[in-house]
Amino acid sequence: MADDVKTLSAELAQDPNSLVFLRLGELLRHKGQLDAAHRVALTGLERHPHLADAHDLYARILADKHDYERAFDEWDMALRIAPDHVGALKGLAFLYFKVGDLDQAAAHLEAAQRVSPRDPGITQALDMARRGERPAAVAPSGGGGAGSGGARGRGPASPAATPEPLGPTAQPLADARVFAGLEGAEEGLLLLDASGRVLGGALKDGGGKDVSDAVAAYLAGVSQEAGRTAKLLGLGAWTGLAAEGQSGHVHLTPPTETALLLVVRERAVPMGRLAVIAQRAAAAARRWLEAQR
Amino acid sequence: MTTATRAVEAWTLQPLVKFVKEAGARLVLLMTSAGQVLAQHGFSRAVDVMSAAALGAAIMASTEEIARQLGQPAFAGLNHQGVRHGIFLAGVTTRRGRLVVLVVYELDASSHGLVQLFFEQLAADLAAASPKDSVPKQVLAADFERELSESLNTLFGR
Amino acid sequence: MTAAPAGYGRALDLITRVRGVRGAMLVSGDDGLVVAEQLMEGIKGPAVAALAASLGSRLRRAMEAAGVGAAQFWHLQGERGALLVVPTTSDVLVVAVAEPDVNVGLVRLELLRAAELVG
Repeated sequence: MADDVKTLSAELAQDPNSLVFLRLGELLRHKGQLDAAHRVALTGLERHPHLADAHDLYARILADKHDYERAFDEWDMALRIAPDHVGALKGLAFLYFKVGDLDQAAAHLEAAQRVSPRDPGITQALDMARRGERPAAVAPSGGGGAGSGGARGRGPASPAATPEPLGPTAQPLADARVFAGLEGAEEGLLLLDASGRVLGGALKDGGGKDVSDAVAAYLAGVSQEAGRTAKLLGLGAWTGLAAEGQSGHVHLTPPTETALLLVVRERAVPMGRLAVIAQRAAAAARRWLEAQR
Repeated sequence: MTTATRAVEAWTLQPLVKFVKEAGARLVLLMTSAGQVLAQHGFSRAVDVMSAAALGAAIMASTEEIARQLGQPAFAGLNHQGVRHGIFLAGVTTRRGRLVVLVVYELDASSHGLVQLFFEQLAADLAAASPKDSVPKQVLAADFERELSESLNTLFGR
Repeated sequence: MTAAPAGYGRALDLITRVRGVRGAMLVSGDDGLVVAEQLMEGIKGPAVAALAASLGSRLRRAMEAAGVGAAQFWHLQGERGALLVVPTTSDVLVVAVAEPDVNVGLVRLELLRAAELVG
């Protein structure tokens, strides 16, 4: 590899506004130095907020760190800036794969294929999506952008482009994985029915103890009271209840009339961001509930 | 303990069921100012109903007399908040005459504010539901025990 | 409480001057009764007080079970309005009733300031 971290870092130090941060960030990511890559990408993004490649790079680093929700945001932003950005299309396809939404995954891959018809990885991934298969345990590895300069094509091929072999038990959307692929699915997201019974997700307290059932039992009462309060005070149907706690924040929302979704995050996560996470989780919950019918 | 709501006079049942649900009350007794029970929720033993009705009517009579001696209008209601329970006692004007409502609520499940809020609705519902041609019955001392006994039989399905 | 009852009006003023706020109240968290209020016509103070206290109490239990501690601010969002609440250390709730598109961040700040005044 011609580029090395030292050379690229020196280049960037000499001209902080240059696009060399794309190559440096990708190289660090490729080497597994995710925190350093994260810092480089974020600094570059601050200087070039309208550069789709910068959002794509940042998304791949976030995906490597399993922060799929923010990765989604970044790839989504990249596509808003450059609707034909192959890296972002493949990245989103990968995330849709992860949550079992194969239709969306295929749609994004088809869009990527229209832009880059000779990419064999896209063809292979598309074939899998159309067969209703999904990768068993893909790790996001990114790379492969719209053919622009910089890091494009240097890193490992994107997950969608090089799908791993399927496990024998792979399912489009396993019942127990309502929030598969969403951040905190096993410790900070809880889906309940109207009687306070857990339908999916899990919640752990600060000590790592599973408190799903206890919280669910209380939440049924909270939901009823929220509905009654909104109705009697003329606030219309309630759409959400957000609260800042001493050591964490919660957001409660009814994804359907008969279900309740709780998102819990540490205090460092801003309330606005929590609302976005809740919206995403509610969409996943609605899809899952629909599939259960 | 049964949580059923039972009524001696059927017109009281619906308003009372609604109130119990909304206010989260544990025990409710609806009676005349003479202590004759019209409906109850949550009591399991006749003896408890008898005691509560007698005490509730007596408290209302005492406070009304205090208000009268002070030259004040009658108290709208009384509330006692304990450690785990609250007790709320208030009068309701209906075509059936002046009635007394005794409510016991758990502080974990309800509050003075909630009970008072939904009590206003209960009072309006009872006033609206009371029969138009209803004439307040005079309960004579001689009839009281028989009346009470009949009420309790109805309330406890004997 | 650190504010005399006359100071309650000042605390409520902080909140009601925010555009989109239809009323502000101090509510006894224990029993759900009105302590002080500045409400636009049509808002039922006793109902807001009773329901806010009840919802706050249920929410507190759920949050404690979830291990995130007691609520320092909460916000019920409805299609046609919102209820925003900050509990004080003396178990008084500082409550705002607002339009659905109110600046939540600003109301939150004023609720927190009012809560400091109330104590």
